[in-house]
Amino acid sequence: MTSEQFLRVGELYHAAMELAPEARLDFLAEACDGEDELRREVESLLRARQQADGFIAGKVAGLVAEMAAQQKNPSLATSLTLSLVGRSLSHYQVLSLLGAGGMGEVYLAQDTRLERKVALKLLPPAFTRDPERLRRFEQEARSVSALNHPNILTIYEVGTALTEAAETHFIATEFIDGQTLRERLRGGRLGLGEALDLAIQIASALAAAHEAGIVHRDIKPENVMLRRDGIVKVLDFGLAKLTEGQRDEGTGRQGDRGSVESFPISPSLRPSVPLSQTEAGRLLGTPQYMSPEQARGQKADVRSDIFSLGVVLYEMLTGYPPFEGVNAIEVMAAILNREPAPLKQKVEALPDELQCIVSKALRKNREERYQTARDLLNDLKDLKEELAFTAKLERADRVERDEAAPFPAEALPTAAGTAIPTTSSARVIFGEIKRHKLAALIALLALVAAAVSVGLYWQAQKTSVPIDSIAVLPFANQNRAEETDYLVDGLTESIINNLTQLPNLRVIARNSVFGYKGKETDLIGAGQALGARAVVVGRVLQRGENLTISAELVDVRENKQLWGQQYNRKLADVFAVQEEIAKEISEKLRAKLSGPERQQLAKRPTENLKAFQYYTQGRAYSHRRTREELLTAIRYFERAIEEDRNYGLAYAGLANVYSSLGAYGYLSPSEGRRKAEDAARKALALDENLAEAHMVLGQVYVHFTPYSFSLGDGELRHAIELSPSLALAHWYLGISLVFQGRLDEGQEELLKARELDPLSPVIARSLAIPPHLKRDYARALELLQQANELGPPFGTTFEIGVYIQNRLFNETLAELEKAKRDRKNDPILIYGTGMIYAARGERAEALRIIKELEEMSGESLSQAHWIAKIYATLNEKELALAWLDRGLAAGAIGSFYKDEPVWDSIRSDARFGDLLRRMGVPQ
Amino acid sequence: MGNPSSHEITQLLVAWNQGNQAALEVLSPLINQELHRLAKRYMADERQGHLLQPTALVNEAWLRLIDWQNVEWQNRAHFLGLAAQIMRRILVDFARARNREKRGGDEIQVSLTEAANIPSNRSAGLVALDDALQALEKLAPRQARVVELRFFAGLSDEESAEALHVSIGTVRRDWNLAEAWLFRELKRREPTRDV
Repeated sequence: MTSEQFLRVGELYHAAMELAPEARLDFLAEACDGEDELRREVESLLRARQQADGFIAGKVAGLVAEMAAQQKNPSLATSLTLSLVGRSLSHYQVLSLLGAGGMGEVYLAQDTRLERKVALKLLPPAFTRDPERLRRFEQEARSVSALNHPNILTIYEVGTALTEAAETHFIATEFIDGQTLRERLRGGRLGLGEALDLAIQIASALAAAHEAGIVHRDIKPENVMLRRDGIVKVLDFGLAKLTEGQRDEGTGRQGDRGSVESFPISPSLRPSVPLSQTEAGRLLGTPQYMSPEQARGQKADVRSDIFSLGVVLYEMLTGYPPFEGVNAIEVMAAILNREPAPLKQKVEALPDELQCIVSKALRKNREERYQTARDLLNDLKDLKEELAFTAKLERADRVERDEAAPFPAEALPTAAGTAIPTTSSARVIFGEIKRHKLAALIALLALVAAAVSVGLYWQAQKTSVPIDSIAVLPFANQNRAEETDYLVDGLTESIINNLTQLPNLRVIARNSVFGYKGKETDLIGAGQALGARAVVVGRVLQRGENLTISAELVDVRENKQLWGQQYNRKLADVFAVQEEIAKEISEKLRAKLSGPERQQLAKRPTENLKAFQYYTQGRAYSHRRTREELLTAIRYFERAIEEDRNYGLAYAGLANVYSSLGAYGYLSPSEGRRKAEDAARKALALDENLAEAHMVLGQVYVHFTPYSFSLGDGELRHAIELSPSLALAHWYLGISLVFQGRLDEGQEELLKARELDPLSPVIARSLAIPPHLKRDYARALELLQQANELGPPFGTTFEIGVYIQNRLFNETLAELEKAKRDRKNDPILIYGTGMIYAARGERAEALRIIKELEEMSGESLSQAHWIAKIYATLNEKELALAWLDRGLAAGAIGSFYKDEPVWDSIRSDARFGDLLRRMGVPQ
Repeated sequence: MGNPSSHEITQLLVAWNQGNQAALEVLSPLINQELHRLAKRYMADERQGHLLQPTALVNEAWLRLIDWQNVEWQNRAHFLGLAAQIMRRILVDFARARNREKRGGDEIQVSLTEAANIPSNRSAGLVALDDALQALEKLAPRQARVVELRFFAGLSDEESAEALHVSIGTVRRDWNLAEAWLFRELKRREPTRDV
């Protein structure tokens, strides 16, 4: 669109805004007189207007709070100053930012005197205040660098330069083109050969430094760089020393957050944690690689580095650090007291000799450890030679690769709660206090959610005309601490879930109501937009020990408050409140609900607060649906299950995520199916009345070929029976019916899903499928365009067919290119592009895309279905049939619409009928 | 370097406006500092119980920083425009830095332990908004400018009108259209799928 065109859009938009809402469409139809594109543009802006109120302010509100929160942390000032890129520092021209870490920002720069690339590390002012300490660090850095060891990063210069406000200290080092070991470990554990090789190089660097009298003090994967040619460089010798003592300062500053100030700090708890800056912008330590003596606050010596290398080696070999815990204290306790699990327990193929070496490096008592890095180095080298000799190395590597392949989630850096925050002991203790408070808060919220739900339900049934549909708007968080936001969201979600399970009440899904989060909402308008008779609004305020939650139920048709209630509780009273609310539930509902329904509502999915906490997090991630976030969700659900082995909902969550991973081709479909089915069955074994579990099991049956429609539909209908407002269950059922060619019945279910979740882009989009399959392409296009207002286009594979049938080739290609900017390498966009080329008869281009998809899909054949579609569009019948056949044999075909026009060219072929039979699709 | 007076800050702004880029480099950290200080004070104020209004905050920061008495009336509007640009740059830089940290750090590791400290998606949201705003600038520069003034400098409708030499009605209409357009644009860009 050009600015001239936009000018017209603007004029019409404003003219329409002057009119009453119901008159706008007619006005536009007349004013645009056949200029459909113009009309659609204005209409879509008018629709956007309905939700846009205040959204911009919402974008910055929390950010200012974050900036304020960071104020506590002096060293972070650096991250707030403008980037140095493009400027000069001394004789270095700064080219780009390489990364920001605890020791400040690291830039790639050009040395204008010697004409070479260097890495420039800026030291935050907080680390350089003590000139004596700085001098000692410089001296140490220079002497390590002078060793000229191939595995030690060369330092060119430790210098100072004047920037706007102050003297900036920087270190110029050789620039390494490669990745850190931390980044490497994100791809999963290493093969035995590689791990040994890296450990040998690190040990060699340590041996040289130790012999020169220098201790690193902070060996961890972040400080090990891997060059592309396989050479390892150890970074930041002695830098940890600069930060020692910083924590005393930190302690004082933590004080202004509350009761911590007066908390006695045991010196034994004072960790000499090296500082590193993590995402939340706080100064956090990574106690995971710390030696026991460092955890005790004693002085580090060469043997401390050996212990840390032992930890790194263990992690390289197994993918898990040996000492884990959900917070810094637990990690440190593990380092001090616990023996790590034997290597073989994690990875069977590892040789026994390696266990001896790792154990000796990880002895708690430093007197019992390797006494020098040289000794460790020699043992590692001997083992490597021995392994190479007996050719064991090759075999072990092969076994490992095979084992490591199946699922990327296993490659995530080991679980979550491991490298744990905290710098100062105050921070640690503060965290503990907060965690307990938090636990109580969560428990209370869960209980209040139950109470509110009961109150609401009771009231809704009591009115003269019973309320048949409810939208629970996100409760407002009135605490200034934005960090409790997700808890308040959890409360809203719990209420929605509780209500969803009740009969005769349509409850709008989470997905749709959360669009209203953080906005001043006009209740009547929201109720109408969501298609709900009544809305629930509420507020949460926590002040010290006191928690106040208020909720009200408003009838939007009559515009009157039906019910309102305030709950005032003390965090400490959690157990008393629990009993009280349970009693309230049973009294209020006795008359109203049948036995099982009452049970259902009073049922608490877990008694374990930590598990609940992990589960809530998992849900939040699984709603976002990108690959990384799905994988993160898995971690959280697994943690929840670790905490509470009987947590059915967590298994159901896990199943849903695996199923999605398989359906998107992020995981081979057969693998996704198997894992989803396993988890769903576990959930059902724990609670056979869990609607979510029946839903996911049904999803698995109707999502992957060969389909089992009768089983799947049965599970989905049962889920709906148990939880009538479960939008996704209606949706999966609708899709299943469409797969079977039962288009009208399918459409009915899809419409129900949309009623329950009116703002979901995926559900809205699916409404275009039945008309598309009935060859009503204009209607399908219209529905798709409406859906695109709710979310980005190209989320499903049939969409492209609609654009093709409407012959929107150029426009669609342009949209695809636009989408690729944000979604790099998303196979669905590549497939879409290939389809358009094929439809336009641009054969060579289409074949190139097929090749690309073939490479992406590899042996899992995850893209076989799409490749077949492109071939079919090119009228290559044999190839299309062949790819369908291969994909089906590999269990890699999902979401197959037999009635799609793309198959018209092969539909009459007997082999197509045969394929359908094999997929389990009725004909 | 000590804290410069509001007079000096005004001078720096003038210098920057006349093309001296270095002046901006000096200004930005100062503005940051003030912003932080104020934000912290707002957050700490138990009694008020009001929600933190970023626009109010930003506005106050500018009022404190600039020596308005010595700025001529027509310059005032002009300064407000400059303020908006700087504020946008600072906030967006901050948000980008946060995003970078999030990507760089081991995000899962931290968030699990102290659930209460889970970072918001707001920094990502702001960066996305800035990107969309850049797209709007190409299409409708004035409307985009209105957003910049109101959103990043916390100006009122009246002040925005003054800075742009247009009527208040125009500012309100521009805002209305720009907000709808940006909202739709962000919705379209959001990479969420939901099955």
